[in-house]
Amino acid sequence: MLARLLSRVRTKTRAWARKRHGDDPDPLILSGRRIYILPSSLGVAFGFMVFAMFIGAMNYGNNLALALTFLLGALGLTAMHHCHRNLARVRISSAVTEPVFAGQLARFRIAIENPSRIARHEITVGNDHGIARPGRIECGERIILEVALPAQRRGYLPLDHFEISTRHPFGLFRAWAYLHMPIRCIVYPRPSERDAAPPPVETDTGGAQDTARGDEEFAGFRAFHVGDSPRRIAWKAYAREQGLLVKLHAGTAVASHLFDWNMTKGASVEARLSQLCRWIEDAYAGGRAFGLKLPGTHIPPNVGPAHRQRCLTALALFDGSMP
Amino acid sequence: MSATAAIPTARRFPLFTQQLIWVAGCFALTVAPHLGDVRLWLALLAAATVIWRLAIELRHWRLPHKWLRIGIAFAAMLGVLATYRTLNGLEAGTAFLIVMGAMKLLETRSRRDLTIVLFVAYFLLFAGFLYHQEPVLLPYMLVAAWILTATLMRIHQTAPVTASEALRATGKVFLQALPFAVLLFLLFPRLPGQFWAVPPRQQTMTGIDDEVSPGDVSELSVSGQIAFRVKFATDELPQPSQRYWRGPVLHDFDGRTWRRPQYPYVERPLVPTGESYDYRLVLEPHNRFWLFALDAPTRWPRGARRTFDYQLLTSRRVSTLRAYDLQSNTGYRVDGPLPRLLRQADLRLPPNRNPRAVQLAQKMRAAAGSDLAFVQAVLTMFREQEYFYTLEPPRLEQDSVDDFLFNTRRGFCEHFASAFTMLARAAGIPARVVAGYQGGELNPLNGYLIVRQSDAHAWSEVWIEGRGWVRVDPTAAVAPERIERGLTAAISDEESVPGRIFARSTLLAQMRNAWDALNTYWNDNVIGFGQEQQRSLLAALGIKDPDWRQLGIGLVIAVIAFFACLSLYLAMRYRPPRRDPLVQTYEQLCKRFAKRALPRAAYEGPNDYLSRLAAQRPDLARELDEVRQLYVSLRYGPAPLASELSRLKHLVNQLKV
Repeated sequence: MLARLLSRVRTKTRAWARKRHGDDPDPLILSGRRIYILPSSLGVAFGFMVFAMFIGAMNYGNNLALALTFLLGALGLTAMHHCHRNLARVRISSAVTEPVFAGQLARFRIAIENPSRIARHEITVGNDHGIARPGRIECGERIILEVALPAQRRGYLPLDHFEISTRHPFGLFRAWAYLHMPIRCIVYPRPSERDAAPPPVETDTGGAQDTARGDEEFAGFRAFHVGDSPRRIAWKAYAREQGLLVKLHAGTAVASHLFDWNMTKGASVEARLSQLCRWIEDAYAGGRAFGLKLPGTHIPPNVGPAHRQRCLTALALFDGSMP
Repeated sequence: MSATAAIPTARRFPLFTQQLIWVAGCFALTVAPHLGDVRLWLALLAAATVIWRLAIELRHWRLPHKWLRIGIAFAAMLGVLATYRTLNGLEAGTAFLIVMGAMKLLETRSRRDLTIVLFVAYFLLFAGFLYHQEPVLLPYMLVAAWILTATLMRIHQTAPVTASEALRATGKVFLQALPFAVLLFLLFPRLPGQFWAVPPRQQTMTGIDDEVSPGDVSELSVSGQIAFRVKFATDELPQPSQRYWRGPVLHDFDGRTWRRPQYPYVERPLVPTGESYDYRLVLEPHNRFWLFALDAPTRWPRGARRTFDYQLLTSRRVSTLRAYDLQSNTGYRVDGPLPRLLRQADLRLPPNRNPRAVQLAQKMRAAAGSDLAFVQAVLTMFREQEYFYTLEPPRLEQDSVDDFLFNTRRGFCEHFASAFTMLARAAGIPARVVAGYQGGELNPLNGYLIVRQSDAHAWSEVWIEGRGWVRVDPTAAVAPERIERGLTAAISDEESVPGRIFARSTLLAQMRNAWDALNTYWNDNVIGFGQEQQRSLLAALGIKDPDWRQLGIGLVIAVIAFFACLSLYLAMRYRPPRRDPLVQTYEQLCKRFAKRALPRAAYEGPNDYLSRLAAQRPDLARELDEVRQLYVSLRYGPAPLASELSRLKHLVNQLKV
């Protein structure tokens, strides 16, 4: 009950703050005027303690006890200023966020830079789904913290809002700012169950090559090292007095698939994309080449992580309303 | 990343163990000032739990079972209740805090538990000030508060901080908060008196009691503790023989012990005759209801009253150091006859006790002829017969006066006063015993007269028709130097007397005086800081006769000013580092060309950009070329010249973009 009420209050204040400050650019230097600060539960307890001490000291008319009370009270209020200043004027920007599959947790990476002369402490980012482990930023340096958000659907997942906050120095106060930066993450379709449909048969063999492995093609020379096989020494080059060189070979012919949208007839758009995604993942894991054919998109067969990313992104951003 | 770089390599314990060690240390640190005030078992309990919990942590033992902890906590609570019979009041409250902290420490396994123990430590620190207000304690307490707060920081920071980092950071915040705390202390309106009654401390404190048996005062005299300090309004002090500080007046005698009467009597007011003295008396807490005043008080502050036998009583126990402004007259008389009831009370003797003394008194009274002559005769007897003044009198039989007068003949002031008063009553003269202090030592450094427990004294008062109450000090007959020069002079060298060492060494005496002057200053200006001092402080600032509202306004202004200063200071501390002047100049140039639709492309270095500018603005080509050469030379050249930088700045400023 209370938790729900608190959550509603939080949503309302965030909406109000968004109206007040508007959406934020990326990167952003955090202005001190948009930082909110309130005592934490520890701070409230500390406040009660100081108040109890104050009553006691006044009652006993004890000046030293009163002095201790005032010192602790002043300490708390000074700490409040430190807490606020610890967050003001940091530079916040987005860092590269890894794409995820639908159903996974997207981890948005936020870079926080300290352009000041002294270190910032206990700075963290978070949203309703959790808070990152607070970090310390030395002057002129930056740290990268992650905000998690569950990715439910394929496509672009915007990080609508998050908070940057700190409890430095004693945890008595929490200073925070609501941020609405244009950060998004690509969400691939969720891969369908393995073996739900077998991958299409190889359409081609030797049409694609994996240049990272194998010894199919001549790839160049390098200097001879002890232990190299004599069969690989370029004797012709040696005869030309170019020194002992070794012939290098690379590239291997791999099985190659072409995954076509039309092969997945019958199912819904999302299920078809999931099936394609599963095939791509399996082919990638097996080191085989694959190409992708979607309505309006054709990616020729290839291998490697960049190719996989290209194909999966095409699936993620596929416009299902197209025929 | 920086967060990992900050972790020092020489780390011995895991984070929680370190935090626990610190919190346990804080608990020990704040229990320590209470060791002298709480029962021994509480101190042992605190020490045992600290050691036990640390051993559990370091040896990786298991925490004690829940029921064992509950059992110990229950037993400790019962112990507190049995010892103090209450949970209210300072002593019981402190004991309760110690038990609570110790029990919580025993079950500590989370940050929340650590925080609770730390809060208990804060309260113990606070309670320490309620017990002790000596100046030496303040640095200890401040350092403890510092360490406690550094511990708070350590347990509430997620990123690891080393002990020295936490202490340094906390120390800085403390120093910044200090001016604010001082402002609050000086300006916060003080209330007179307590707003709810706190049960008094049960602990007995040394001091003159309202019961005097043989041996009581001599026991007290061994203590060198200060009873009170007196500052006279003028430089003129009463003569040593006049310095009788009146305390409880004792009427009821059971043959051995003198007590205050259970009911007040009626008596005629005294008429001051002698010299009048105004003075301020700073009374050390003695946890009793009476004040001491120069014999006899004629003016006293509100909240005190004078009894029928000219003794000052307060409405509350004197449990904290307080100053009282008093006036006394060293001489007085009482007109008219003694009221009948009081006369009866001051003549009453227990039947069948001290028969030999009663006989002696009646014989001497018959021989003397008048009351005054009888008094003289008794004093002469003390002086001329073999009676001795000693700090170590022998124990007396049940009929103490008989035993003293005819057997032991050795006694301290209470023996002589008791014997004299009893003899007077037996002779038909109303008489009573007055307990208090006699003498006092002047501290030349600040003009305070210091009266110690070793100045405790007892004397008699007899009613002489036509003169009223007359003070008779039988001790003066036996040992006149006690009255004139104090205890040290009156007691023979074989007996140990407090303060003798100071009487022999001037250097030590001077040091003692300086120490006491410091304490007095502390008492007057820090502990005793109240409405009056606040008023004079504000008067010095030009605010005459401030009321609550003005104090409040002053406080608000001071607070706002303080936070403005703090904000500015922090903004300065957090400002970005100064930029390179060369970069600044270059960026200024870029900005100016950007306004003329010639912005620098993201991929362009200074060389390319300035060359492109020179090509596109032939009118500025010569200057831009020089700017380019200067920039390259300053940035990459072997020994950049200051003159080159100023030339570059000049060129950029003069450039008509």
